Amino acid sequence: MIRVEDVHKYFGTLHVLRGISLDVSKGEALVIIGPSGSGKSTLLRCINLLVEPDAGRVFIDGVHVNRHDINREWVRQQVGMVFQSFNLFTHLTALENVMLGPIRVKGVSREQAEDKAKQLLARVGLAAKANAYPAELSGGQQQRVAIARALAMDPKAMLFDEPTSALDPEYIREVLDAMTALARDGMTMIVVTHEMGFASNVAKRIVFMDGGVILEEGHPQEIFEHPKQERTRAFVSKILR
Amino acid sequence: MGSLEDLRRQRTRTFDTIAAVVLTIGIVGVLLEVLVGRYGLNWTYIASAWPTYLRGAWVTFYVTTVSYIVGMGIGFIIGWARAARVSVRKPGAQGAAVFGVKYTLRRMGDGYVAAIRGTPLFVQIVFVSSVLVIRFSSLDPNQLALIAGLVALTANTGGYQSEIFRAGIQTVHTGQVEAARAIGFSRWKAMRHVVLPQALRLVIPPLTNEYIGLLKASSLLLVIGIVELTEIGRREAFFQGKPFESFAIVTGLYLLITVPVSKIVEYIERRLRVPGLGIQAAPTTRV
Repeated sequence: MIRVEDVHKYFGTLHVLRGISLDVSKGEALVIIGPSGSGKSTLLRCINLLVEPDAGRVFIDGVHVNRHDINREWVRQQVGMVFQSFNLFTHLTALENVMLGPIRVKGVSREQAEDKAKQLLARVGLAAKANAYPAELSGGQQQRVAIARALAMDPKAMLFDEPTSALDPEYIREVLDAMTALARDGMTMIVVTHEMGFASNVAKRIVFMDGGVILEEGHPQEIFEHPKQERTRAFVSKILR
Repeated sequence: MGSLEDLRRQRTRTFDTIAAVVLTIGIVGVLLEVLVGRYGLNWTYIASAWPTYLRGAWVTFYVTTVSYIVGMGIGFIIGWARAARVSVRKPGAQGAAVFGVKYTLRRMGDGYVAAIRGTPLFVQIVFVSSVLVIRFSSLDPNQLALIAGLVALTANTGGYQSEIFRAGIQTVHTGQVEAARAIGFSRWKAMRHVVLPQALRLVIPPLTNEYIGLLKASSLLLVIGIVELTEIGRREAFFQGKPFESFAIVTGLYLLITVPVSKIVEYIERRLRVPGLGIQAAPTTRV
């Protein structure tokens, strides 16, 4: 579903991604871990072209997307993204946040968009909060609205960029539950997270990134209990503590 | 309703209202004592002369309003151009051309704002007027003065409003644009549906300040012979020998424009307020 071939990215002289290759099949949930600055977020952003890769190729559902002649807006509709800091539109209610994309980008009618948005909010357990503004919601609720907003575009895959890192501990569970349910429903997902419980439950495969390269990948149990690389071991022991 | 917070707010509001009423009565009392009690305002003069002042007030009002609205267009465009981050240069000749045009526009905007903010409005008015008088000496001097005044005020408020719009657009978090782009919005649509609705709410108070400031600053137009409210007051004060009466009327007429404007904007602001994007009315200062 998502294929990344030898992708490089520079920010000025900083070589952030040094040849990343990745293959995520349909319905798979892949977890990426790694220290900050290792290029995880940049990799996710290269997949939906929020950041343009400098070299290498990205395929989504078989389509080569980082070409100059491609419609970037179309590409971004194919993959939903959830951010660390939620980024809900502050001037719109939860319901309007979910409706905005379908109405303004896809040209769906207001009634249809509203029906769908209500269903999606119900799916993440927020039917009762449809008319609340982001500032009136807890972090966990905001992040679940953000998930619904991404799903409203009917994406083929979802990217999660540390979705629980900005949350108070008591709200992490509800967001992870929503993501777990999504994975169980067969959504293709790439998740950057340090939530080991979630990774073990949901992912078949974990990728460890450091310094812009993939150092190691494997089954969660393998990575957490018997990491091959020294750096993986050091990192895992820090986050498992 | 009925929460402790509501109750506290209710009390504060009641106290504020009482304090405001007492203060106003006090100030008006002192003014009346000085003007009427000691000096003796000439009410017959006021009754007969006020239509003259009203004409001056009209000139002040429309020169300000026309400049303000045209300046808003200029300010919005320049503010947006200056707020936009330097965009990525796309490959090819067309990409280079687009990049060059954008870069040039932005630098021109920088220069314009620097020139407007870095010089006194008084100098700008005299400068524009002198240029027009020399270039178009055949035109009627009164018309020429009016055009010069409009041009100078428009250019001035355009520069200041561009800074207001720039700040408003930049205050909207970059994450908002990123989120909009991530669900497939184009740059323009993200601006139209996500950034602007938030930025416009943020700039309402400073834009109101700008209008009121501009209205007051328009009194400087008397230097190029535009007969606006302050000039009427000055003429009447000297030629009719009525300094207290004339400036009392002038003061009253300025307030008659600025206070309702503030109130109307306050109402609009309340209507548009969104939790989390709340802005309290800013104090008005200028000139």
